[in-house]
Amino acid sequence: MGKVIKYAKDNIDTDVILPGQYLKLHDYEDIAKHAMEGIDPEFHSKVKKGDFIVAGKNFGCGSSREHAPIALSHCGISAVLAISFARIFYRNSVDGAFLLPIEIDEQTYQKISNGDDLEVDTKKNEIKNLTKNETYKMKPFSEIVSKIIAAGGLFRYKPD
Amino acid sequence: MAQTLFEKIWDSHKVIEINGRTLVYIDRHLVHEVTSPQAFDGLRINKRKVRRPDLTFATMDHNVPTSNRSLPIIDQISATQIQTLEKNCQEFGIKLFDLHSQYQGIVHVIGPELGITMPGTTIVCGDSHTSTHGAFGAFALGIGTSDVEHVLATQCLVLDKPKTFEVEVTGKRKNTHAITAKDIILSIIKKIGTGGGNGTVIEYRGDTIADLSMDERMTICNMSIEGGARAGLVAPDEKTFDYLKSRKYTPKNYDDLVENWRKNLKTDQGAKFDKSFTLDASNIAPQVSWGTNPAMTADVTGSVPDPAEFAGGDQSQENAAKNALEYMDLKPGTLITDIKIDRVFIGSCTNARLQDLIEAASIIKGNKVSPGVRAMVVPGSQQVKKAAEELGLDKLFKEANFEWRESGCSMCLGMNPDVLARGERCASTSNRNFEGRQGAGGRTHLVSPIMASAAAIAGHFVDVRELV
Repeated sequence: MGKVIKYAKDNIDTDVILPGQYLKLHDYEDIAKHAMEGIDPEFHSKVKKGDFIVAGKNFGCGSSREHAPIALSHCGISAVLAISFARIFYRNSVDGAFLLPIEIDEQTYQKISNGDDLEVDTKKNEIKNLTKNETYKMKPFSEIVSKIIAAGGLFRYKPD
Repeated sequence: MAQTLFEKIWDSHKVIEINGRTLVYIDRHLVHEVTSPQAFDGLRINKRKVRRPDLTFATMDHNVPTSNRSLPIIDQISATQIQTLEKNCQEFGIKLFDLHSQYQGIVHVIGPELGITMPGTTIVCGDSHTSTHGAFGAFALGIGTSDVEHVLATQCLVLDKPKTFEVEVTGKRKNTHAITAKDIILSIIKKIGTGGGNGTVIEYRGDTIADLSMDERMTICNMSIEGGARAGLVAPDEKTFDYLKSRKYTPKNYDDLVENWRKNLKTDQGAKFDKSFTLDASNIAPQVSWGTNPAMTADVTGSVPDPAEFAGGDQSQENAAKNALEYMDLKPGTLITDIKIDRVFIGSCTNARLQDLIEAASIIKGNKVSPGVRAMVVPGSQQVKKAAEELGLDKLFKEANFEWRESGCSMCLGMNPDVLARGERCASTSNRNFEGRQGAGGRTHLVSPIMASAAAIAGHFVDVRELV
């Protein structure tokens, strides 16, 4: 279970998720201190382990920096729920099993509010909104993506 | 069966298909200091070697200062990242073009320049603008650090087969100096949107693309990622083959290769694309971005749009445009040519090649940078810098009070000393106008090199069609 931090915007890019000046940092915990600093300087102080980000279309567009999902994951974000994702961000999230990139539809995006408590069940492909007592569908992961996530990342995954 | 160029490259690099995904062989791997350190750490922890050090090339570009190279790097964190790449390349036997190499430069500028980029190949780099290399008819894509480690270890990458997207550009540009490749690609992104190319590889086609030089085609392919595409490419032709002849790493059997490429590296007649878009280049104007993503772009003759009009009923777009105008401190209706600027950046993997600098210098004509404007010219590589100096461009720029700097990514991405101060407004030839991209609170307007140079002199945007 975790709380929603909602950014009601499309095109949240990697430069606001982790601004360029922090790409020099090597340690993941140091990188995490600057997550979302480009649009929400308070993010690091308010996020708790297991929390969710909810956003609109094309989340994570821009650079190929894996530092973006790393920063979010290392400050506690367990999943990003967005209407769509930019390809490299999606892939980076799965490759390192940093966080779950979950695709939701427009209505679900509208229904979830900032501060809602959510539970995600990737087996049933369901999102439970405990605050509003509602259940939504998530787009199921493809077979290979589920397997990579279950294995704990690309390097732990062995093809059948 | 008739195939597209991309499908031919894909098929020839397929190693095996597993669970509907394909293991693809990678011909060239380019490495830089920012997205590689954790990948090398991973190799060390798991006691793995680099599978093909001979196909792997490294340089440092993202966080290098573009000031005097004989001075030490003051930022210790940057210095550490640069030294880490040196150590990693030494340990794993990878060719490195370091800060003092005559071949150092932005990774996407030096790849083609050194003949590392070749038609029909697969190329990866831990950088989203790897799509640049597609200008030579390669399938080139950006990857994250986990994938960098995977390619270092295996020389392969697991991929889903992308869809194909035909972007046809037709029509004669009325003024080839004023209407540049940058204006073409910004016009395309303005129409298809930042997600328009999602899941696809774009093939740029049509007579206008065929007319472009290699430097210009690189500008187009470079920004494919800004339209959401995985990669962008152009079928190779005689210009491509001439460009790559006699480069440092051009293969010895180049003429035989060219003969084969000439026959095979093109989309067959009757091949089907999953998606198509056509742009008529005969009536486009110089472009200036006004917002905080590259699709938020207007003609130089236009004005800052009203968010509601821009969005055409899409609430989310309207909010985005409102936020963008607030961040950019612009009011709807303001003429683009009335926007005053504080800084000018001519550089980046989009627009820092020789032709870009020649065009930017061409309109100086004895004028000087407007008082109060600070303008920087940052060649894409040491080789570009040298070639430009042989033409005397450095003198032209310096006499006009432009700064003439050392090669690197510079002010494109705000991670080296070249950054905008909060609130500063910049005419930039780079690729992203995201919030904070060029420094926290900095405001970016994307333009072509000639538009940036003209803005430096006037202190505001001008329609360069009136000057050339």
